Amino acid sequence: MNRYFFYNFMLVSLMNLMLFVPHILVSNRYSGAVASLLVAPVIGAILIYMFTNAMSRYPGLGFQDILKLHCPRWLVSLSSIFFAVMWWFSSTIVVVAYAVLINRFFNPDTNSTIILIVLVVAAAYAASRSTLTINFIIEITIIVNAPIILFILFKMVRSPQLNLDSIRVVANYVTKMPTIITISAATLIFTGYIYLALYNRLLPPNFRFKHLYIYPVLGFIILVITFFVPIGFHGTEGVDRYIYLWAVTSDSLSMQYGFIERVVFLFLIVFLNLTLVYTMSGWHLGMEYIKGCFKGSKPEIDSPKAPLSNYIILGTFATATVLYLIFTNEKLNYLITSYWLVLRMFTEIVSVLWIFILSRRRLRSE
Amino acid sequence: MKRFAAVITLFLVLLSLSGCGFKDIDKRFFVVGTGIDWSGNKSKPYRITLQLAIPSPKIEPGASKIQYETIDAPSIAEGVRMLKAYVDKELDFGHCKMMIIGEELAKRDINQSIDWMLRRRDIQSVATMAIGRPTAENVLHVQPASERYPGNALLLSFGADGTESSYNYAETLSGLSRRVTEKGMDPVLAIITNDGKESYVINQVALFDKSKIKMILSPTETQMFNQMSDHFTKASMHGMFKGTPMVIAINQLNSSFQIHKNNDPLLINMRIKMDVVFEEAPNGLFESPWGPVEDALSLEYEKATVTLLKKIQKHGIDPFGFGLRYRAMYPGPNSWDNWNQLYPNAKFSVDARVKIEGTGLIR
Amino acid sequence: MNERIRLLFAEAADLKTYTLRNKDMSIDIAYIAPLCDEKMVSDFITVPFTKEEVSYRKHLHTIPEYLKVEDSARWQDLLLRGNVMIRDNETGDIYSLFTGDVICNESPQTQVESAIQGPQIALSEDLNKSLNLIRTMYPVPELGIEEYSVGYISKTPLLVLFDQRHVDPSVLDNVRSKLSSISVDMVHAAGELEKLLIGKRRHLFPTVLITERPDRIARALGKGKVVVLIKGSMFALIMPASFFDFMHAIEDNYEAYWMTRVLIIIRYMSIVLTITLPALYIAIVSYNPELFRVQLAFSIAASRSAVPYPSYIEVFIMLFMIETLIEASIRLPRYIGSTATTVGGLILGQAAQQAGLVSSIMIIVTSVVAISNFVIPINSLSFSVRFLKYPLIVSSIFFGITGVAVGLFLYLCYLCNLRSFGKPYFRLHGKINPAEGDIGQVRTK
Repeated sequence: MNRYFFYNFMLVSLMNLMLFVPHILVSNRYSGAVASLLVAPVIGAILIYMFTNAMSRYPGLGFQDILKLHCPRWLVSLSSIFFAVMWWFSSTIVVVAYAVLINRFFNPDTNSTIILIVLVVAAAYAASRSTLTINFIIEITIIVNAPIILFILFKMVRSPQLNLDSIRVVANYVTKMPTIITISAATLIFTGYIYLALYNRLLPPNFRFKHLYIYPVLGFIILVITFFVPIGFHGTEGVDRYIYLWAVTSDSLSMQYGFIERVVFLFLIVFLNLTLVYTMSGWHLGMEYIKGCFKGSKPEIDSPKAPLSNYIILGTFATATVLYLIFTNEKLNYLITSYWLVLRMFTEIVSVLWIFILSRRRLRSE
Repeated sequence: MKRFAAVITLFLVLLSLSGCGFKDIDKRFFVVGTGIDWSGNKSKPYRITLQLAIPSPKIEPGASKIQYETIDAPSIAEGVRMLKAYVDKELDFGHCKMMIIGEELAKRDINQSIDWMLRRRDIQSVATMAIGRPTAENVLHVQPASERYPGNALLLSFGADGTESSYNYAETLSGLSRRVTEKGMDPVLAIITNDGKESYVINQVALFDKSKIKMILSPTETQMFNQMSDHFTKASMHGMFKGTPMVIAINQLNSSFQIHKNNDPLLINMRIKMDVVFEEAPNGLFESPWGPVEDALSLEYEKATVTLLKKIQKHGIDPFGFGLRYRAMYPGPNSWDNWNQLYPNAKFSVDARVKIEGTGLIR
Repeated sequence: MNERIRLLFAEAADLKTYTLRNKDMSIDIAYIAPLCDEKMVSDFITVPFTKEEVSYRKHLHTIPEYLKVEDSARWQDLLLRGNVMIRDNETGDIYSLFTGDVICNESPQTQVESAIQGPQIALSEDLNKSLNLIRTMYPVPELGIEEYSVGYISKTPLLVLFDQRHVDPSVLDNVRSKLSSISVDMVHAAGELEKLLIGKRRHLFPTVLITERPDRIARALGKGKVVVLIKGSMFALIMPASFFDFMHAIEDNYEAYWMTRVLIIIRYMSIVLTITLPALYIAIVSYNPELFRVQLAFSIAASRSAVPYPSYIEVFIMLFMIETLIEASIRLPRYIGSTATTVGGLILGQAAQQAGLVSSIMIIVTSVVAISNFVIPINSLSFSVRFLKYPLIVSSIFFGITGVAVGLFLYLCYLCNLRSFGKPYFRLHGKINPAEGDIGQVRTK
């Protein structure tokens, strides 16, 4: 069922527009962002290959289940909690940023905390469902929304407002060495594979990953569009002025003959769906990690009724997210995000290496 | 019972949240045009004119009704806030697609105004920008008799689905803000002139440096400028061939330019290709060879355009984006400084290629 | 025997008991007259008994329809189902003969799910006639049929049909255990049984397909689904069902390819419209009027300027009217029904707008909502979809477009979370490579 892997990949690579990734890349456009666009697919491809290779040796087992096979219990629990917090946070920054964005564009008079509460409750309800359900939700949302995003991106690339000279000016800075921040921002696009850490539980035993080469290529295309289209629209200097870069960029485009004239609304509604799904997926992973720490927990993929522990864990997540919004502001959120991105990249590399080595060792011992 | 109580509680909580942002469409005043002028008063430099639509159920030619509000204020945002006291409904800029800056203000500084527009979330980035002459207020007060709904006429003159005038240069807010910030590409705005009566003319453009008007092109120059900047709409042009005047319609036009650094001084080469059809021509042209006619027309066109380019260069502005192209082609840390040194002395050459497609329906 | 039977029943005038006597034997017979075909009773029992061409005892022994009854506890039950009890007074053996004559409609025309082409005949209320139809359309030796009965009082006979080759054993087991665990007094309608089978009291969507079309049943059997027929109801239940089955009209299989595909797309569009349109109207009119084109915004603003209420009151007024209208035209006799629609639809709508109670756009919104609701081919889904717009309206009152989008997302989660007899209810079926297996297959037992 390669398509389910593909949906996860698409979800993350499209979500990057909301994750300050374009913003971070653009503000480093003269200092290494362009080169990291080239480096990121390579890193991404290696990680994808290693991770899928390792996971396919353990059909029906999640990352945590595999660790339990090989490592001492305390280490598993410790790392699980760490991963859970990482997953929680990855969704939290998105949903918090989005609540603020909605507050700016859709409901300027409503308090952003209230909007966040609505989003968080919806996402938490969704995340409390079974793993199988989560995958169905991801599938249907991607199938409905991705074409709209691709259509908007296509319209932008074809737009006469896109100034190729500005793009060339920035592209000339390819010789600048990439920095850690830009690389970690750029590799985020390829990070959808990491969802396999849990969803590997669903994959049937005879499953084989196919067409893996698609992912780096697709990711690279999305990354290039993410970075260069705003530059083409706003110029090499003006692009740095905007906080919600992609929202403003989509506003610069109008569909003269469309039902909704202002593309930005279409764009925001579509991304609202994706944000909810992304949050749901991330929290579900975090929840499963925490549940796995308890003794006697049995991994379930399609329990007919959500256990009480789901609600408790997700309630904690949701409350923490609301508190995060209250105690931070846009600027702080941006700053924390850029550090989080770096931390995320290293966590990912470490966990991929870990699982890869475990799988090799097992191979040798057999 | 428990569930019922829960639902009631939820509803009450929701009720306490509401009241924020809920505002019906008939309680909103739609701003369809905004004008920002220089008032001449130092303490209240901005004169803001809002064109407010009075909705009517009939949308037919001549049925549009408009209310105007004008105020002088120390800053734009304050002015808009003060204006709210003058009207009975909430002001909504969501449908404001026409932003007009008065000529006087444009000769001083437009950055403040652009900044305000960009910051407001409800002003669309695709809103059309233009200069109003003599003032934005005057232009907004013009109400063409055929207008179908408020604010439509001006917008149609700029949009692609309205008239296609070759004198018209449509610029959006996001496009303008790009040009204001971009190194090597300067802003251009069309000028809407109120001729004192109930109508307006759009046939000139103003060229800016980064903040104010540097020069204003004449209508003929404007048309040429539009063609050169590849802002093509169907146009006609005059020409002379062996003493007989002729008018040709341009069907298709492509223009592009290259920058050659190796020459000294810098050479900017512009290439303009156009396919034309005769609208007025001497009899017997169909039989005579077209080659010489094409050459003569091209030559004439080249001369005119080089003159225009030189004139623009003399003012030290760069509306075509030559500088940006230079930065793209010759990268380096000093690229921008180099350009600034080279541009004043750069040489222009225009390579026009007129291709005659036919002579119309008669020979 | 007759005395005992008299004792078993309350004082019932329709319970007939006789003792018949001919040359060599005497018999007691008892039956409930309205339930039995008197002609059959006379043809099979009284006439041969009195004519005596062949010894009647021989009849009893040879003809297989005479069933020997050993257990006296079953007498009541047999009599109530239209059997005649016969006691051979010499040997004391008791036989039953089925002469049941249940009044039912004669294989009627399809009414609920009509199709222009395709079979026009619907299931009958009689199980045998229904089986006849199904067996004819699905002549396969692997067709398994199991008998059940539910209801302590009604004892409604059920038939469970499935194709042995294709049926999913887990679903079949699930259905069997659910059927045998039902404990109610009476079951008479398919919808009633559906609720009992699902076991949840509150459900937003139907998870069992109820149909009257034998061709739909035959197709379902071929796909490995389980079908339950109920005596006395001309509807059958098909399970498991997915959301997409409900959106599939049977005629999509019969008509030209491209138009039916377009129709399917239109159906999905209209289901989205009927759910979201009133909520979107509120959200756009009261929160984000810049979403409209400017002309539309002005004309709505103008037509709303006469309306004294906020947009949601307007919506509630119109929806109340349309819902009562629909309800009225279903409940009323068919001849008056059309009058109700005319009065409600034409006159009230027009008048409400002129009176300044609602805006003209709202009239259009309401009609679109109503019409697109009727497009859904299966009635039970169209009925449940009618409810879905109300929660969305509430959330749009408070949160505008965001509320609508979040509400839709929640519906989606709910749908994906639903299972119909253990099978996913809302899931896109892509190509599944049987060698690889399906997602989530590892742990399902």
